[in-house]
Amino acid sequence: MSVPSVHVAKERLRTLLMADRMQCTPETAEKFSSDIYHTVSKYLEVKPEDFNIKITRSDIHIKITGENY
Amino acid sequence: MGEVIVITSGKGGVGKTTTTANIGIGLSQMEKKVIVIDTDLGLRNLDVVMGLENRIIYNLVDVIEGSCRLKQALIKDKRFPELYLLPSAQTKDKTAVSPEQMRKLIADLKDEFDYILLDCPAGIEQGFENAVAGADRAIVVTTPEVSAIRDADRIIGLLESHGIKRNDLIINRLRVDMVKRGDMMSVEDVTEILAINLLGVIPDDEQVVIATNQGEPIVGAGCMSGQAYLNVCRRILGDDIPITDFSKPEGFFAKVSSLFKKN
Repeated sequence: MSVPSVHVAKERLRTLLMADRMQCTPETAEKFSSDIYHTVSKYLEVKPEDFNIKITRSDIHIKITGENY
Repeated sequence: MGEVIVITSGKGGVGKTTTTANIGIGLSQMEKKVIVIDTDLGLRNLDVVMGLENRIIYNLVDVIEGSCRLKQALIKDKRFPELYLLPSAQTKDKTAVSPEQMRKLIADLKDEFDYILLDCPAGIEQGFENAVAGADRAIVVTTPEVSAIRDADRIIGLLESHGIKRNDLIINRLRVDMVKRGDMMSVEDVTEILAINLLGVIPDDEQVVIATNQGEPIVGAGCMSGQAYLNVCRRILGDDIPITDFSKPEGFFAKVSSLFKKN
């Protein structure tokens, strides 16, 4: 069975809103996320899959999950 | 002092005008004195949705320009206790009115009405600026689609930057069958993304099209969307009514019948 289209919709929205909220291109928004990850991982041991960044209209939330947290 | 609510969305065609009309009608049936104002200059249609298009003599621009008195332009909807429409102008464009003029007009209306509902045009240009100028709070209408949610997010940001902090969400045209099979975003998906208070969910309902064809209200009708609009009105009045979970149809009808029992 094919992937439910709602997953595609949510992923596209996630990228779009991040770019809209930062007023930049989706590529820049993705680069911002990966730069933040690299900065954080200099100080904390965190796997990429445990690192989550969320940009709302007024805040940037960084959430780290995994066994150490 | 009346409360001024702008109904907005960013994207066109998501149901702002239908929502404005039905909230206005619903609140007036709850014994509030209500005025609905069409702020979409050049593309008026709130009058058509309400079935009042044949009664227009003067419009919003006539009032602003002083071609008539405010009272002369107000159309009383005789089907309801205290409901008035201030129609838009069909032949003018958005530059005919300024945000400052709108603020002044609304200040004049605030003493007389309990609720002033402003039907905002699509887009983020001067029409939007005019519509939000005098508003105390906003209702953002969206549908569970990527483009509509994206625009709603943008609009919420703009409302906040205009100092309008009380912003509530209506999710319109939800299709439970599509949500169930994973082809439409759910209420939770949308509220998680937009992160504002949910005021109501209106299920996709062909009765809305039928009512709009006839220029009749849907609010309070026995159908699912009519009940959903009624609940939105009650929540605006401050009643604590849980959002109906449309994924459980049996539960919905049980809730509807329990509402009728209460009255």
